[in-house]
Amino acid sequence: MDYNLKIGGQTLPVEADLRDDGTFLAKIGERSFATRYQIISENQLHLEVEGIGRNIYLSRITDGKLINIGGTTYLVQDADVLARDGTRKRSNMELPQEITPPMPSVVVRIMIAEGDLVEKGQSVMVVSAMKMETTLQAPFKGKVLKINVAEGDKVMPGQILAVIEREEESEGKPQEGITREKENI
Amino acid sequence: MFEKILIANRGEIVVRIIATCREMGIKTVAVFSEADRAALHVREADQAVCLGPSEPAESYLNIDKIMAAAKQTGAQAIHPGYGFLAENPLFAERCHEEKIVFIGPPAQVIRDLGDKTVARRTMMNSGVPVIQGMMQAKADPDELMKEAKSIGYPVLIKAAAGGGGKGMRIVHSAGDLREAAESASREARSAFGNGAIYLEKYLRQPRHVEFQVLADAHGNVIHLLERECSIQRRHQKIIEETPSTALTPKLREKMGKAAVAAARASGYVNAGTVEFLVDHDSKFYFLEVNTRLQVEHPITEMITGIDLVRQQIEIAAGNPLKFSQADIVGRGHAIECRIYAEDPLSDFLPSSGKIEFVREPRGPGIRNDSGVYSGYTVPMEYDPILSKLITHAESRQECIGRMSRALKDYVVLGVLTPIPFLIDILSSEAFIKGETYTDFIDTHFADWRPAMEGIDMACLAYIVDEIANHRTKGNFTPANGEAYSPWQTLGNFRP
Repeated sequence: MDYNLKIGGQTLPVEADLRDDGTFLAKIGERSFATRYQIISENQLHLEVEGIGRNIYLSRITDGKLINIGGTTYLVQDADVLARDGTRKRSNMELPQEITPPMPSVVVRIMIAEGDLVEKGQSVMVVSAMKMETTLQAPFKGKVLKINVAEGDKVMPGQILAVIEREEESEGKPQEGITREKENI
Repeated sequence: MFEKILIANRGEIVVRIIATCREMGIKTVAVFSEADRAALHVREADQAVCLGPSEPAESYLNIDKIMAAAKQTGAQAIHPGYGFLAENPLFAERCHEEKIVFIGPPAQVIRDLGDKTVARRTMMNSGVPVIQGMMQAKADPDELMKEAKSIGYPVLIKAAAGGGGKGMRIVHSAGDLREAAESASREARSAFGNGAIYLEKYLRQPRHVEFQVLADAHGNVIHLLERECSIQRRHQKIIEETPSTALTPKLREKMGKAAVAAARASGYVNAGTVEFLVDHDSKFYFLEVNTRLQVEHPITEMITGIDLVRQQIEIAAGNPLKFSQADIVGRGHAIECRIYAEDPLSDFLPSSGKIEFVREPRGPGIRNDSGVYSGYTVPMEYDPILSKLITHAESRQECIGRMSRALKDYVVLGVLTPIPFLIDILSSEAFIKGETYTDFIDTHFADWRPAMEGIDMACLAYIVDEIANHRTKGNFTPANGEAYSPWQTLGNFRP
């Protein structure tokens, strides 16, 4: 079978043919691998690649598999399935820059007002979570169209705190979002 | 001895305290908030009482509710763990009034040492070296400017009620002082309910070395050697070890004596930690006393063989220490790595969610103080510590090897952890050489990226799992337009 697997920011074409005797041949790009496999449990595989054995732990999440090898966890996804799904779900492993706020928090200070012009990187709000203050900054230069929260409000990741219209590409629809940067504490 | 102890905390530390209580034949009561109904500490205890909603003020910080839980269950003593009410003198006082033993120092000691400026004055008066800086908190920005000028930049703003890096700011020039002071004060107020701040000289590249002390109610005070906790991110420790590579036997003896003097000067009873900074010239300065069990206490337990929680309980019950300073010997080397649910690639921001699968490392010299299990959802309301991995070996080098091995065998799927980051720190030249200063991560690991050496293997594993599952289930093809999901193929899969 042929797969296009998305892992660590790249998409790799992988071909594999599993045999019933526990061996299989695989090609990742142009490279071939002779592999033995054993399924130990629902969360564990044993793979032997070029004679070297490894225990591999995995779990299946809605949009891929989490695969742990030697202490590092990889999110591996089937790029074709993702494309078929259309709406690509955001996963924990690759938080997009515009997610805001980074965690459930409380708004402690708002430094902008609706109608303000902000510069890229300008501090616009301070939120506090787990007793740590985080300053949110404007992701681009533009005009503040709307502020959706007030000081003291509890806010959740993904919630849009303010809407800023990007100045350069004003022909498009307003872009929402604020990037964050940790304050120097 | 007590028959029943209530543990006013959550997570791994409760599980750890319960273990000792069980060994001592003491029954345990856990408390929990609604967000923690499924937490491991609730399951481990003999009894558990729900305190209320997830907000700490309604649960783990609510003294009335905790006292009521203690009364209701007939607990004779309360262990506060670390964090939450552990260093709250009002809580210790209230326990005293209600005739429930607080497993920790007397309320007045907590109050005195909790105000960092009072602590500084106490230490200075008893000959313990302190860092140059203010002896009293001040709020007036003009006065702070004056103080900063006389101390000399860079200065460190600290919260008088501080701890854990909250309300702390490094200020390099006068222009930044006002805003930093305002922000630090605000953070301190929200963290400790007290916005008082003061200034200290900022030491360049110090090491953080602390001494564990034990003091009984009969005037015996000893120390249980040091812990070095220089590897920090956001002023919070992530790797601790003992012994410190910076201490010679002579310096250790001197600092140990200072730690005991500090405990005596403050009238200390129970287990506590005297924190010092050590500079490049091996000069040491008093930082603060933590009037509680430290997160990193297990490394001391590993090298001394002494169960600190048991000592705390014995001392609280009024029993004298069974050993003297001469009996305390450190054997081998111990390291602790804190495993948080956090993303080392995004400024260590917490990563809450469901732990799909966890597999803890095992083997000689490995201890894992954990508060989680497979299928547990890490709540976003609290400090996201999952566990503390501790290794013990004959030498530092062997201990590093053992920790690296244990980390590589530690599988946590579903939330992000700093495990790959910790593995890389442990194998770095600077760490191996013992060049551990508090700026270690900024200096050596600011641009860290995971090596991703297992990409090929991960792809192969993906395919094995995918195809093997298809086979057991038959040829599954998603219905037209239906999104394909591996869950659908999971079926009755059994290997």
